[in-house]
Amino acid sequence: MKNELAPTYEYLYGNNWVLWYAISNSYSVVDEGFKKTLDTYLKSNSKSSFKEKITSLKSTELIENILNDIENYLIACNTRSESETSLNESFIADYRKIQKTYKINGKIIKVYFDSELVAKIIHPAIAHLECDSNRIADSVFDIFLRDDHLLLFKNQSCILKTPKKDYHFLRGKFTMHILCEIYEKEESDWLGTFHGSAITDDKTCILFIGESGSGKSTLSSILVTNGFYLLADDVSPMLAKNTSIYHNPNGISLKSGATEVLKPLIDNFEDIPITEFNTSKGPLRYFPSPKPPKNYYPCKSIVLVNYTPNTNTELLEISVKDILETLIPESWLSPLPEHADAFLEWLKTVRLYKLTYSDNKSMIDTVNELFES
Amino acid sequence: MNEEKKILTRKEAIKKMGKYAAITAVGTFSILNPLKAQADSTPPDPGGNPLG
Repeated sequence: MKNELAPTYEYLYGNNWVLWYAISNSYSVVDEGFKKTLDTYLKSNSKSSFKEKITSLKSTELIENILNDIENYLIACNTRSESETSLNESFIADYRKIQKTYKINGKIIKVYFDSELVAKIIHPAIAHLECDSNRIADSVFDIFLRDDHLLLFKNQSCILKTPKKDYHFLRGKFTMHILCEIYEKEESDWLGTFHGSAITDDKTCILFIGESGSGKSTLSSILVTNGFYLLADDVSPMLAKNTSIYHNPNGISLKSGATEVLKPLIDNFEDIPITEFNTSKGPLRYFPSPKPPKNYYPCKSIVLVNYTPNTNTELLEISVKDILETLIPESWLSPLPEHADAFLEWLKTVRLYKLTYSDNKSMIDTVNELFES
Repeated sequence: MNEEKKILTRKEAIKKMGKYAAITAVGTFSILNPLKAQADSTPPDPGGNPLG
């Protein structure tokens, strides 16, 4: 019955099934009881045949409720995702007021902005990569504010138009195209950009996730000042071909709350410029940590960060459900079926943890043990 | 709450927060939607849009 509504991929992790629906790019985590009933529904020829199959289990009223739940669930999973709007914005060179040049992974990248305010969206995170090169740029970006929309052009072609309130999409798209440029990839080569920080010991990497304000960036900075390398902060890009996380050249964004912890650990901390842009994040410093020796590393663990004052350090294995409920809604994941399949395959190889901590030293020891295990 | 209202609420939850979870008589499920485009984690600014 209605097999066109069935999930495209089904993967079992412990007691949880993860189902992926191509039409909506939705991931659904279901337990074994729900999966069994869903399978029964999809294999039934009609509603009455489905009801007959589950009659022995429940009362008539419950059977109707179960049928409604399954049908509404399938409608939600099969709601087509919105398609991107077309971009036919014309390029106007007159908007070029400010020019910045950056050298990233050997590539020269030139960026024009139409105002200091618009420059503040992009420049502070990559200010440490600014250079004076006269070399011809490998790529040129333009970022303008026009009719309450932010426009992003790459080599004079518009690649993003977004309402000005959604400038986080501008940052995301710009970072994606910087990654494409410096690693000579296409946007369609990337499996996704995870919301999280990736740390490496130069062999593998660990992805630390958690909601904004959970302490990922502070934890990353502490690890960076204790012998590890930052691979990516906030936006951790994974290439589909090798399911490895690549170095994101943006600095680590540090909120003012992290100042007391990090001031003694980072040389010349006070010299890192403060950026004030978004009042909910408050004043930010972008800490330019040293680049790791390689451009990318395989990721072997995902750790949900849970900073809790006055607690003992504890690393507990958690379920795929706990990880995905935090990771997926805040990450961009490619809607291509082969990429979704690669993501679900990769997830089978990764260990999943929750790290509760308040003491930095024991947190570092725990992360060290995790890298060595 | 009628069924139509239930579906709307579910759709709205998925659209706004990217996730929806429910317990049914036969088991539990959650629906998780990734972001539609690449983004950084900048939250909405309660102090007003910095771009005016």
